[in-house]
Amino acid sequence: MNKNWKLAVSAAAPLFILFLPASWLPLEMTVIEQRILAIFLFACLSWILEPIPVYATSVLIIVLELVMTSDQSFILFQGGENDASLGTLLNYKDIMATFAHPIILLFLGGFFLAMATSKYRLDVNLARIILKPFGSNPRFIMMGLMLITALFSMFMSNTATTAMMFAILTPVLKSFDQNDSGRIAVILGIPFAANIGGIGTPIGTPPNAIALRYLTGADAIAFGTWMCFAVPYVIVMLFFAWFILLRIFPMQSKEIHLTIEGKFLTHTKAMILYITFAVTVILWLLGGMHGMNSYVVAMIPVAVFTVTQVITAEDLKQISWDVLWLVAGGFALGLGLEKSGLSTNLINNIPFSTMSPFLMVLFCTLLCYIVANFMSNTATANLLMPIVAVLGASMASLEPLGGRTMLILATAMTASLSMALPVSTPPNAIAYSSGLIQTRHMSIAGITIGLVGLLGLYLLMFILNTIGFFA
Amino acid sequence: MQKPSILIVDDQRDVLTSVRKDLQSLQDFFVLEECESAAEAVEILEQLDAQGELAALIVCDHIMADQNGVDFLIELNKDPRFKSVKKLLLTGLATHQDAIAAINMANIDRYIEKPWDPGDLLHNVKILVTQYILRSGVDYQPYLPVLDQDTVYQELQNRT
Repeated sequence: MNKNWKLAVSAAAPLFILFLPASWLPLEMTVIEQRILAIFLFACLSWILEPIPVYATSVLIIVLELVMTSDQSFILFQGGENDASLGTLLNYKDIMATFAHPIILLFLGGFFLAMATSKYRLDVNLARIILKPFGSNPRFIMMGLMLITALFSMFMSNTATTAMMFAILTPVLKSFDQNDSGRIAVILGIPFAANIGGIGTPIGTPPNAIALRYLTGADAIAFGTWMCFAVPYVIVMLFFAWFILLRIFPMQSKEIHLTIEGKFLTHTKAMILYITFAVTVILWLLGGMHGMNSYVVAMIPVAVFTVTQVITAEDLKQISWDVLWLVAGGFALGLGLEKSGLSTNLINNIPFSTMSPFLMVLFCTLLCYIVANFMSNTATANLLMPIVAVLGASMASLEPLGGRTMLILATAMTASLSMALPVSTPPNAIAYSSGLIQTRHMSIAGITIGLVGLLGLYLLMFILNTIGFFA
Repeated sequence: MQKPSILIVDDQRDVLTSVRKDLQSLQDFFVLEECESAAEAVEILEQLDAQGELAALIVCDHIMADQNGVDFLIELNKDPRFKSVKKLLLTGLATHQDAIAAINMANIDRYIEKPWDPGDLLHNVKILVTQYILRSGVDYQPYLPVLDQDTVYQELQNRT
């Protein structure tokens, strides 16, 4: 299907919904709800078919909501004074505020840490130190590489981490024997570790942040709490991935040498980076003890780095605004569904509660797993999370299993387990483009790890539920 | 996917043909434009600019019938519209002075001597177009199959 067709489909279907007479709709809806439904359908089609870049879809969602559903919308969309069927107009400030939602700023803080880290080569130097004890046995070096990748991807973007690790690895990959299948294991180990590592912290990967958006009030999860359950899971999955990769692609080389050049910078700016990084992470972990939540803490590195010029105006241009806006569009979509009343409307009118809670968990996670394998993890989470939040809230039968918090967490973490294809995630694409592996290599290992990861996730949720975490 | 152009500028037909042959593996992702003179190259660049198309790289000879390659690249370097276009000088007959001018005033990215090694030329062209793609803001992922791996790693590391 070419681009114009995709665009036509993404535009035509929502327009059809938009102009459908109210009596034809399966539910009783206000006009605003109907418009939100049309925007949601557009988001679905546009994120799946990608006629425009995924972040452009997000921006369009925000602008469409402003123009069509807000209290400052185009005059013809606002309806008459006493038009009861119009419904509630959304506050335009709320829609615009999604660009600077606390979770977006949490990510911005993470970006600042990541930019400064790579600018002053803290990442490469840490990699050098951490790798030392792993010796020269290629199996253990691979383990070390995967641990480092996962650790970094908890704080840096998975893509940048993968690129950095491959830059370190290139000379080693060239020295490998062409016929040693262990080379494939190493090449796949990096992107897989980056995908898995992203699960570790709320800022590790955007789907985590999107989950946080729906976990508010009593369901809120602090930065440190998230790490308490996610990091052990990441570690277990890493060892499994390492084990299974070496099983499928046995290592024949007996010895490899990995030399990473460089030494820690000791000038003032670098020292400011080291201290700020450490302090920020400690403050994040200590959560409730100092009164500042993780969003406020995330602003500290932003201030310190700009004041001390560790990050300059030129560096600011490197911030991936597309990632932030992609997430913001998802937030606006969630906002529209909630504030228009469409979410509640759906909850009240669709008999979710009669469905089996086990099947529901299975359905949400598997759907997320499959979709995220073919499209952007963030876009997948943007689409599924508002629906999952509604489902979770409406199903009383889900309560004994952990309720909506469990369903939201499980679905968000599943997005990071999708690594079956080169298109599944940017780290996979980078590994595949090395030209040293084939799609089937990636698929065999990626699907195995993904499905075992899902089982592990169910176990994790079971344990968390048993210890009363969701109560 | 947008196909950025690679301009090959040389007044000898056979050189154009053989450079084109060496860069053949790129043609699913880039348009290979052959120009027999600097004037023709300018014309194509103007056309690309007018249509909003991208020019990624110019592979240029030095000694040519009308305007010589270094002078052409110096002029190009002054034009803000083409600042980001990568420049590769492919010549066997440039003097020491020409080379100095090419580096100091035309800001060339690569200098490759004739006769050239096809593998070496392709490698350098790939590095330059990779830098171009990753810095131009277009989505790099569709181009990954032909980009230079090491350059991709270097460029992506600093992204947030």
